[in-house]
Amino acid sequence: MVNDRKNKELPASNYSKLNRRREAIWGYLFISPNFLIILAFTVIPVFLSVYISLTDWNILGTPNFIWIDNYKAIFSDQLAKVTFFNTFYFTVLSVPINVFLTLVLAVFLNQKIRGITFFRTAYYLPVISASVAVSLMFMWILANNGLLNQMLGSLGVEPIRWLTNPKIALNSVIGVTIWKGLGFNMIIFLAALQDIPQELTEAAAIDGANRFQQFFKITVPLISPVIFFVTITGVIGSFQSFDLVYNMTKGGPGHATSVIGYYIWKQAFDYMNMGYGAALAYIVFAVILILTLIQWVIRKRWVYSED
Amino acid sequence: MSNQKDNKNSFQMQVFKTISITILAFGAITMIIPFVWSVITSLKSAENIFSHSAFWIQFPPDFSAYKQIWERIPLLKYAGNTLKVALIVTIGQLITSSLAGFAFARLKFPGRDKLFFVYIATMMVPGMVLLIPNFIVMKNLGAINTHWALILASVGSAFGTFLMRQFFLTFPSELEDAAKLDGCNPFMIYWHILLPNSKPILTTLGLMAFQGIWNDFQWPLIVLNSASKRTLQLGLSYLMSEYYTDWGLLMAGSVLTLLPIILLFFAVQKYFVQSFKFTGLKG
Repeated sequence: MVNDRKNKELPASNYSKLNRRREAIWGYLFISPNFLIILAFTVIPVFLSVYISLTDWNILGTPNFIWIDNYKAIFSDQLAKVTFFNTFYFTVLSVPINVFLTLVLAVFLNQKIRGITFFRTAYYLPVISASVAVSLMFMWILANNGLLNQMLGSLGVEPIRWLTNPKIALNSVIGVTIWKGLGFNMIIFLAALQDIPQELTEAAAIDGANRFQQFFKITVPLISPVIFFVTITGVIGSFQSFDLVYNMTKGGPGHATSVIGYYIWKQAFDYMNMGYGAALAYIVFAVILILTLIQWVIRKRWVYSED
Repeated sequence: MSNQKDNKNSFQMQVFKTISITILAFGAITMIIPFVWSVITSLKSAENIFSHSAFWIQFPPDFSAYKQIWERIPLLKYAGNTLKVALIVTIGQLITSSLAGFAFARLKFPGRDKLFFVYIATMMVPGMVLLIPNFIVMKNLGAINTHWALILASVGSAFGTFLMRQFFLTFPSELEDAAKLDGCNPFMIYWHILLPNSKPILTTLGLMAFQGIWNDFQWPLIVLNSASKRTLQLGLSYLMSEYYTDWGLLMAGSVLTLLPIILLFFAVQKYFVQSFKFTGLKG
């Protein structure tokens, strides 16, 4: 029996060739379910989107090819201008505040203190909460007779129209965005801080460096790649913010809270200007792509410089 | 001298600790108050919400908002829709990602590394760019206004594949070689050796998928039209546009839709924290 099998065995080179072919077939088989989904709903759409952005498609009619007219139209679109400005304002305000606060919180959390589990849990809660419920909670808190105005009222401050005053509304949305996102970056910073060998800060402390010196001379340089990463992903995230704006303000009052993520949705799925929406989305994509590549290159350099 | 320094240091440390705890506590309260206030509001009678101060708590609580909400919207139906889609996507993503991750990590086939590069590249594509073309793809597939549109778009995951690959790469190859000599095919190795040893990472990935679908808002908003197809988040958003001043009702809705995820969070907090860190790796 054993001899039988031995006789039937193929010569070594043929055998391994067959084996390799088998392995390749298994490989393709294994990746195909996932790959087909990625192909159909990420790879093809990226290119399809270019085509759509070059047409005047509005779902109902047949698309006409209009070359770069959509891209040209963006330059004369006043609303797009307002939207880009709002997005810029949103990003410049929300990202640095988020990074600063989360870093400080992470440093505070990165020591032996009582109640640490409670603190962490408290900061995670907004992160795992759905944005619709968060929107509702804050619409009520920021309502004219809501919690915030009543608290301020007890200090003698007149009620503020947090979500209906065009000068304030965008700041309120930014505030809620920061509130919801704190716990997330905090974890990332905390993980980075825990990777720093304690001997480093202890050695500095022995040399007489105070807390602030330790922080700025040792901690910050060591986690600067993380700070940079968190900043870039924050910028990318803020370009895509939609849920809170849609639910809390619908871009209003007027267009005061219209940011690009919302405006693209509005153009494509409310006005049905698919072509124009796709063109707007592609411009944002280009910016995000550049930011991501910069982040990759710089991170790589950082990684090398550590060696 | 050195003693003095130690004292100074420990004093500094005490001050720093006190400041830390104060600020952390203030922040934590800011995080929790909105939730607490939602619960308090949802337990007030409608006429008391506006007539009394915000700080007033109704006792005994009035549960009528929690009774009403089931009459205003088919909450159970929405929960069922959401749960169905979330479970299918979670299980689907775990299967497809672990299979693909295994192939990329453990099998050799022509074009493997190029394909993997494509995977990495797709992770850079922001979701916003895909909304319009995916809507069109779904329209052509006849999937608009069906749950298929939600399932198909998420049942494969480049990020999940990446994560599984990195994890499978850390396995020692001796086990596998032994199994190969025993005549195991790649599927048997995947099923009997790698998967049983991957429970923590599968849990984390599954949790990310589940939570992502449960909380997703924009994509369901775009592809679902009929009221009966809505997910919880969509249902809550529509509830708001219909009863936008009925805060008791709206807060009850928020509390009810948040509860499952918050309970899940308390049950498996460790994996949630892990999932945050993984998302941090994504870029």
